[in-house]
Amino acid sequence: MVDHKDDYEDILLAPIAHTGPGFYWAVAGLSVFILWGAIAYAVQFHQGLGVTGLQQPVSWGFYVTNFVFFIGISHAGTLISAILRLSKAEWRRPITRMAEVITCMVLFIGAGQILIDLGRPDRMLNVIRYGRYQSPLLWDATSISAYLTASVVYLYLPMIPDIAVLRDRLKKRKLFYSVLALGWTGTEHQQRILNRAIAIMAVLVIPIAVSVHTVVSFVFSMTLQPMWHSTIFGPYFVVGAIFSGIAALIVAMIVFRKAYGFEPYLKPIHFRYLGQLLLIMALLWFYFTFAEYLTGYYGAEPEEMKVFWAKFTGPFWPFFWGMVLCNFIIPLSCLVRLSRRTIGKVLAASLSVTVGMWLERFIIVVPTLSFPRVPFPEGVYSPSWVEWGLMAGSFALFALFYLLFTKVFPIISIWEIQEGREVGLKEVEERLLTYLPDEAEANILEASRGR
Amino acid sequence: MERERSDWDRVVKTLQWAIAGVFVLFVGGLIIWIIHLIRTAWRLGDVPSASVGISLVAIPVFLVLLGVVLYVFWGLLAHQREE
Amino acid sequence: MALWGMVIDLDRCTGCQACVMACKAENNVPAVGQKEAGRGRIISWMQVLTETDEEHHSEKMRFIPRPCLQCDDPPCIKVCPVYATYRNPEGIIAQIYNRCIGCRFCMAACPYNAKYFNWYTYQKEQPGQNPDVSVREKGVVEKCTFCHHRLQKARERAHAENREIEPGEYNTACAQACPAQAIIFGDLADPGSEVSKLARSPRAFKLQEELGTKPKVIYLTEGEGGG
Repeated sequence: MVDHKDDYEDILLAPIAHTGPGFYWAVAGLSVFILWGAIAYAVQFHQGLGVTGLQQPVSWGFYVTNFVFFIGISHAGTLISAILRLSKAEWRRPITRMAEVITCMVLFIGAGQILIDLGRPDRMLNVIRYGRYQSPLLWDATSISAYLTASVVYLYLPMIPDIAVLRDRLKKRKLFYSVLALGWTGTEHQQRILNRAIAIMAVLVIPIAVSVHTVVSFVFSMTLQPMWHSTIFGPYFVVGAIFSGIAALIVAMIVFRKAYGFEPYLKPIHFRYLGQLLLIMALLWFYFTFAEYLTGYYGAEPEEMKVFWAKFTGPFWPFFWGMVLCNFIIPLSCLVRLSRRTIGKVLAASLSVTVGMWLERFIIVVPTLSFPRVPFPEGVYSPSWVEWGLMAGSFALFALFYLLFTKVFPIISIWEIQEGREVGLKEVEERLLTYLPDEAEANILEASRGR
Repeated sequence: MERERSDWDRVVKTLQWAIAGVFVLFVGGLIIWIIHLIRTAWRLGDVPSASVGISLVAIPVFLVLLGVVLYVFWGLLAHQREE
Repeated sequence: MALWGMVIDLDRCTGCQACVMACKAENNVPAVGQKEAGRGRIISWMQVLTETDEEHHSEKMRFIPRPCLQCDDPPCIKVCPVYATYRNPEGIIAQIYNRCIGCRFCMAACPYNAKYFNWYTYQKEQPGQNPDVSVREKGVVEKCTFCHHRLQKARERAHAENREIEPGEYNTACAQACPAQAIIFGDLADPGSEVSKLARSPRAFKLQEELGTKPKVIYLTEGEGGG
C-alpha cells in the first residue's frame, strides 16, 4: 500500500521535482510573445492610444474584447470545481485544481486588459479615490476583486494537504512549503476544519462567479446603444463564459497530459464527460444567441437592423458566420458521438470553441460602435500591431503563469485522488444503496403478496 | 538540535500569522474603500443608493471570505500545540 | 438658477460650418493633421452631420449641427467611473480633464457621439491659443461645454460691476459665428428669452427624443413642420 502511494505521488510530483529542457523551450517561446506585448505597451504608453486602430466612433476594440474573453474563461474553475464538488461527482478529482488555477491566473490577465485600455493608466488610482458606484465599471472592479479573492482562497485551501506532501518529500523550497502548509499533519480535527471550509467556499464561489460575468455584460447592456441594450445579456454572457471556460480547461488538460505524462489520471472518460458538458453548453449558447437575434430581427427597429445586417451580410459577416461555425457547427459534429477518438474530437471542439467565443465577444463589441444612431461618419476598425502584440502577449503571459504554477505546486490534487481511492468508492456505494427502495418496504410488499 | 528546530518553527509560525494578518488588512482595506465610496456619493448627492445597495452585498461577501480564512488558519495553527 | 440651452433652426442652416471653425478656434480644439483625419480621429466639438433623405437620395440633404446636446438625463455621466463628467446646477455637462482616466465608457454610452478622445497629444500649449481654455493632453475625453469659460468671464464681469448677467452677455462661439443666425443660445429657464420662445415653436423637435435623454439643444425642422 505504501509503495503504491509513492508510485503515483512520484508521477504527480515529477514536474516539481525535475525540470526538463521542454520547460525552458516553452518559457523561451512564450517570452518572445510576452516581449512583443511589452514593447507594444511601452509604445502605447509613451505615445498614446493613437497607436491602436481605434477611432471615432469605434472607441472600444481588441482590449475590451479580450477583457470580456479572459474574464469569461475564468468561469472554468467555478463550474468544474464548485458545482461538481457540491454534486459529489467523483470524476472531478484530477481536474479541479487545473480548473481553479485557470481561474486565478486568467483573472489577472483579464483585469490587466482594462488597464491596458485606459487612456491615462497613470491615473488608474482615480477609480479608487473617486469611484462612482453608479458606473458598471465599479461593479466590475468590486465583483472581480471578490471573485479573485474567493478563487485564490478556494485554490489554496484544498492545496494545503498537497503542500504538506511537498514539505515532507522535497528538499527544495522547504521554508516556502512549510509556511504554506499551515502545519498540516492530516489529523481528524484538521480534516474536519478543512472540509468544512472548502464546503462553504464551494457554495460561496458560485454566486460570486455568476455576478462577475453578469456585471461585465452590464457594461454593454446598461447603455442605450442598438443591440447592446438587451435584457438577455446577463445570462447570455454567463452561459458564454462557462462555455469558453470548459473549452479552455479541456485544452489545458490535454496539453499538460501530454507534457507531464498524466495519462493514468486524465483518462478518456474524463474528457468524455467534459465533452458532454461542452455539448450542452453549445446548445445552450445557441439558444440564447438565437433568441437574441430573432428578437432584434422581428422588432425590426431601424437602428438595430443596421447593426444586425452589418453582422449578417455586411462588413462583419466573416466574423459572425465564423462564430456560428466555431461555436455550434464544429462542436456539434465533434461532440455528438464521443465513444471513439474521444480526446481528438474533444480537443478539436475545444479549440474551435475558444476561437468562436473570441469572435462572439468581438461581434458584440465592435459592430454596435461602428454603426452609430445619429448620421455620424461610420468607422472601419482595423487593429494595429500594438493590439495584436498585446493580445499575443496576454495569452503568452497567461500560459507562462500557468506553467510556472505547475512547477511549484502539483497541478493534480494528490490527496483528492487518494481520497477517491480510499473513501470515494465506499461513499458512492453507500449513496447508491440509499437510492434503492428500503428493506422494510420490500418485506411488506412480499408479505402482502404471500397472503 | 532542539533550539534549531524551535527557531525554524518560530520563523514559520511568524510567517504564517503574517499571511493571515496581510489578508485581514486586505479585506479591511477593501471594506474601508467601499465605505469611502458610500460617503463620497452621499456627500455629493450622487446616487448614494447604488453605493449602499452594492455594499450590502459586497461587504458581507468579503467578511465571509475573511471568516473562512481565519477559521482555517486558527484551526490549523492554534491547535498545533495540542499534537 | 439659469438653465442654458440652444435652439438650432435647420431651415436656416446652410451647412457652411462656420460654427465648427469658430468652436475649434475658441476652444483650442486641435487640428489632428491629415494622417490622423484619414484614420477617423477628427475632433470636432461642434460637428455638422449630414443626412440624406432615404427616398430622395440626391435631392435633399439635411445639415444637422450637433454640439453636445447637454442632456438633462445624460447617459454619459451615469457610466463615468471617476466623476470626470457631471451635470452642473446650470445644466451644463462639464468635463474634468484632469480626472479623466480615458476609459471611453462615456463615448460608448453617448447616443449622439458627442464625445471625442485625444488619441495622441495633438498640441502643446503655445501662443495663439485661447488662454481661457485648457489645452488637453493625450488620453482624455473632451466635448462641447457651451463655451463655459465665456460664462465664467461674464459672471466675473457682472460680479465686479455688482449686477446680474444680462441676457445676451453670455453667448457661445458657434451661435456668435453663424452667418445665417441659425443657432440661438440662451437661458431656457427664462420664459421670455428667445431660446425659450423658439423651443416652444410647433417646429421644435429633439434628436432621439424617445431615448429619454432630455437634450437641451432643440432643433427646428425645415419648412412648416413635417416637411
